[in-house]
Amino acid sequence: MGHEYIAAHRSYHLLAMQLSQAGFHVLRFDFYGCGDSAGDGERGDVRQWLSDIEVAIGELRRRCRFSKVCLGGLRLGASLSMLTACERDDIDGIVLWDPVISGDTYIAELTKLHQDVLQHSYAPPSRRSMAEKPTESLGFPLSGVLLSDLANLDLLAIQRKPANKVLIVATQADTGGTQLKEHLQSTKAHVEYQVLPGPKLWLEDVNKVLVPNQILQAVVSWISRMYE
Amino acid sequence: MDIQDVRVKEEPLFFGKARSLMGIITDPPKAPRDENFPAVIFLNAGIVHRVGPHRMFVKMARSLANLGFVALRFDHSGIGDSKARNDRLSFEQSSVSETREAMDCLSTIRGRKRFVLVGLCSGTPTSFRTACLDPRVVGLILLNGVLESPDKINQEVISYVLNHKIARSYWQGKLFHPPSWLKVISGKANYKQIVNVLTSRLRDLFVPDAKVALGANHIVGDLRSLVAGGVKLLFVYSEGTAVLEYFRMALDKEIRKLRASEKVKVQIIQRTDHTFTLLRHQEELLGLVCDWALDVVLD
Repeated sequence: MGHEYIAAHRSYHLLAMQLSQAGFHVLRFDFYGCGDSAGDGERGDVRQWLSDIEVAIGELRRRCRFSKVCLGGLRLGASLSMLTACERDDIDGIVLWDPVISGDTYIAELTKLHQDVLQHSYAPPSRRSMAEKPTESLGFPLSGVLLSDLANLDLLAIQRKPANKVLIVATQADTGGTQLKEHLQSTKAHVEYQVLPGPKLWLEDVNKVLVPNQILQAVVSWISRMYE
Repeated sequence: MDIQDVRVKEEPLFFGKARSLMGIITDPPKAPRDENFPAVIFLNAGIVHRVGPHRMFVKMARSLANLGFVALRFDHSGIGDSKARNDRLSFEQSSVSETREAMDCLSTIRGRKRFVLVGLCSGTPTSFRTACLDPRVVGLILLNGVLESPDKINQEVISYVLNHKIARSYWQGKLFHPPSWLKVISGKANYKQIVNVLTSRLRDLFVPDAKVALGANHIVGDLRSLVAGGVKLLFVYSEGTAVLEYFRMALDKEIRKLRASEKVKVQIIQRTDHTFTLLRHQEELLGLVCDWALDVVLD
């Protein structure tokens, strides 16, 4: 969502092309209130976006013949993929690219980044606005409903196995990724955890961001190994 | 304007000679009154895909469609969902050619004959060059516009502009800002920069910026031709940015003359950044763009 969505767009396009060339049916879509999809940014929230994923799976089933579904996403998209997979029985695999594990941490990161970026511009955030609950982050609205949804997000609290096969891709080795791997293993999922140092798309200047080819290749290679 | 109320229709579109360019066309709830009603085309800002920085182009396209305009947001080749080109055209050439293909497409599928181009930052030289070449362009919305590729502006001019930007921030922001004076008194200020600012200000009093303006002569000529040909231009700048300093030095004198023709309008949004990040600035910009677009059509 937000600036992270914009920074990741071209990488998603290329990933979809590569997966398609490898023989998979692929659907990319924008959540409600994001990108080309309908709706104001203020109206997007986690419940709506989980429902959007359900619609996307239904749309792909309507258009193509396939037996197994693999969901994938970057950052919050990864977390929503996992939440969806936990609620359904037909998701066989999930790809979690630098997932947001804790919503609270995510809100704190978004808030800090917003303040850091604007600090040196002609629109520095006031002390008062810095002390208040955030209402926007780098050009995108953060509604009260969304903030509340995010505050309740905790992937480590989910007890159900989301999918048989899980790939976690991290651009940096950290305790969060390792914890998530161990947690998912405890649900009896087959988990592969790959640390592939590269640019953090969501932190880069959108106009300087590079497509992380190594990660795209890793995802295509994992999906091909799992489903060919 | 509340985008929730918008009842516009949108559909994806592949166009261009190889149908390799991808865009989203936004149609108004009711068909435009006549074929002279211009369509609006949004050009990529840098490598940000067709939604524009902070999704601003989506909001603008939907708002304009609600006012009766057909709008197209598309990706130049190699950006967003459009395929990369395999010829040797420079971006400067291909971006103009692709913008003209977008106009051809809207002429064919929607019967539009007149166009308004919208660019932000690096999208502005493309808009400007296209308008100079193609008489179907009747309006330009240039957001933090530079009018020529930044790599063509020589280093001396860039340094000059950056010095002026810093100087202006001192004169406007720090001169009457008590904490800044405290820094000076306590020895924590950047004295070298202050000296640079003072000398730059003194130099301005005695040496007019003719040297800088000279580098922009061809732009001034093109601008005059466009206005003489009836093209209307809206410039919107963020106060305090280097592109605004460049605009002031290179074009301000000319713009003052052209403003008399009422075909050129310049708006400056205070205390904002290069891409109008804060939501209140985006709202202000959206209002300026919609008001101007209606003026262009109703005139």
